[in-house]
Amino acid sequence: MNNRTTTAESPRVATVGAFRGPSVRMPLAIAVVAIVFVLGAVAPAQFASDFVLRLGNEGLLLGMLALSVAFLMNQAGLVALGAASVYGGTGFLFAIAMSEWDFSPMGALCTSFLIIVVYATILGALIVRTNPLAFMMLTLAAGEMISHSVLLEGVRDYTGGADGLVVNFKGSILGMEAADFADPARFWLVVWVAAWLAGLALWAVGRSRLGAILRAVRENEERMRFSGFDTYLPRLIAYVLVNIVAAVAGLLHVLNAGFVSPESLGLSISTNTLVAALMGGIAGSVGPIVGGLIFSFAQDEFGARGLTQLLTGIAIVVFIVVFPRGVVGGLWSAVRALGGRRGTS
Amino acid sequence: MIALLIANSLALASLLIMLASGLALIYGLRDVINFGHGAIYMLGAYLGYTVALVGGFWLALVVVPILLAILGIAFEYLALRPLQSRSHIEVALVTLGLGIILGQIIIFFYGGVARSVDAPQVLSGSVTVGSLSYPVYRIFLIVMGLGSCALLALWLRFTSSGLYVRAVSQDPSVARMMGINADRLSLLVTSLSAAFAGVAGVLAGPYLSIDPGMDVTMIVNCLIIVVIGGTGSIGGAIVAALLFGLVQVAGSVFLPNIAALVPYVLLMVVLLIAPRGIGRGRVLN
Repeated sequence: MNNRTTTAESPRVATVGAFRGPSVRMPLAIAVVAIVFVLGAVAPAQFASDFVLRLGNEGLLLGMLALSVAFLMNQAGLVALGAASVYGGTGFLFAIAMSEWDFSPMGALCTSFLIIVVYATILGALIVRTNPLAFMMLTLAAGEMISHSVLLEGVRDYTGGADGLVVNFKGSILGMEAADFADPARFWLVVWVAAWLAGLALWAVGRSRLGAILRAVRENEERMRFSGFDTYLPRLIAYVLVNIVAAVAGLLHVLNAGFVSPESLGLSISTNTLVAALMGGIAGSVGPIVGGLIFSFAQDEFGARGLTQLLTGIAIVVFIVVFPRGVVGGLWSAVRALGGRRGTS
Repeated sequence: MIALLIANSLALASLLIMLASGLALIYGLRDVINFGHGAIYMLGAYLGYTVALVGGFWLALVVVPILLAILGIAFEYLALRPLQSRSHIEVALVTLGLGIILGQIIIFFYGGVARSVDAPQVLSGSVTVGSLSYPVYRIFLIVMGLGSCALLALWLRFTSSGLYVRAVSQDPSVARMMGINADRLSLLVTSLSAAFAGVAGVLAGPYLSIDPGMDVTMIVNCLIIVVIGGTGSIGGAIVAALLFGLVQVAGSVFLPNIAALVPYVLLMVVLLIAPRGIGRGRVLN
């Protein structure tokens, strides 16, 4: 049976980001990346309006979620449709810990984060051993379970039912108070740094031994098992890892919004995440984050007319069928092709 | 009490069987889980509503499956066949996208409000057996569900095309080597599965409400059933649907507070005990 995976890339390209040898390009690349990082951190707060910044913040958060989905797709060949349950779940837990349990902001942050990580570990332990198709169905089912459970009669006092919860934020986290997180310009700096950290971390993992094992398992699990590798633990670690990224995005979102609603757990968040990942391109860390930004601005353009979901559906189909590498992946290979031609001529 | 419980779970299971066996059929032939199946079912329900308004329930029960079978043929030619060489996960994602598109088109035309269909005169009211009275429509539902299930089993068991379908489901490459045309079979199976979804949609009208969220609810339930039943196993799907119906109905009677979560608990339990489901589905990569 043909065992092709989600990426349309060849294995050579799958180790994306690898510069060819330790040449002069290396310091240059690091300098360019550093300049982009600093410019991106400082410039938008100076020049962009609050409205654009808000869209940018949402885009980066979605980008972080997309990053988690894309990493699992690209490295492990597993498609997760339950990103929203972790994203909204941490938000709910944080709000509950603040309002109901009277935790300090830092305590609530750590508690909700830990609960979600434990949840992801248990769920992952159950589902990563299934085949990719079953995995996709199971993440969808688990996500729906979480989004239903918030609306249950018994927990309505805690979760606010369909109305959601307002975060009762008193105190500060690392010197930032509620108003600071709500301020788009200040929040941009926070989420920009977080997105970079997440992107670099997952990029590093992808290039590590763990990443290599994951890709090998993706190509042929039986062969890896036969060769004496544990194929279960690496995938579990990857699953927990991407959920940590999603949980961070969820916490940042609730800090910024000051509010959680059941919609943040909905399937549409998960499909939006998938679209952002596909739009940007799932190989590497830049694609998904750029995809999140594109999605956020595109949603602003078309969302008012109630077309978001329709466009989400169309985008899934178009990007998988026509542009499987996404925007960033496509541009990257175009640049490479140009560079290659110049090199040979 | 127990009899009512069983009857109610059979009624729910009837709908689920029609949908889940359609999913399992396509999966057996194409190795693709059709995430858009819920949207096809929803289209069946809304079309059923429209046709029932114009020409009555019985007409809807005939016309809608035919219309959806045509949609199934289009789905086969426009989506499944061109994407044959792509990975199964990619095709599954495409069906997810197509399902979202279809769902949004339906909402665009019908708006976001829930609709209801009345059962025809003959099927309204209830029958009394002994001390129990039971709605006639649900009995009709059970008969339709189990009847279509029996027809499906007969077809798979005793006709040559059924034999081919079983052969391809069991081992696609050997079946192809023996000269079975999987493409032609897939056309049959896809249209059949869409038609079944149409029947289920029309039947769901007087039983459940028709609302814009029904596609997601139903596809999630069906996916749970397919996983519990063992992916690709039609017999497993039927057993799982019955089990699911029973658990769902019993859950809403005995544990009304957490009834919505019971199916997921069932899923997790089955996965813990038997990760490949209760039926012997083909193990796939």
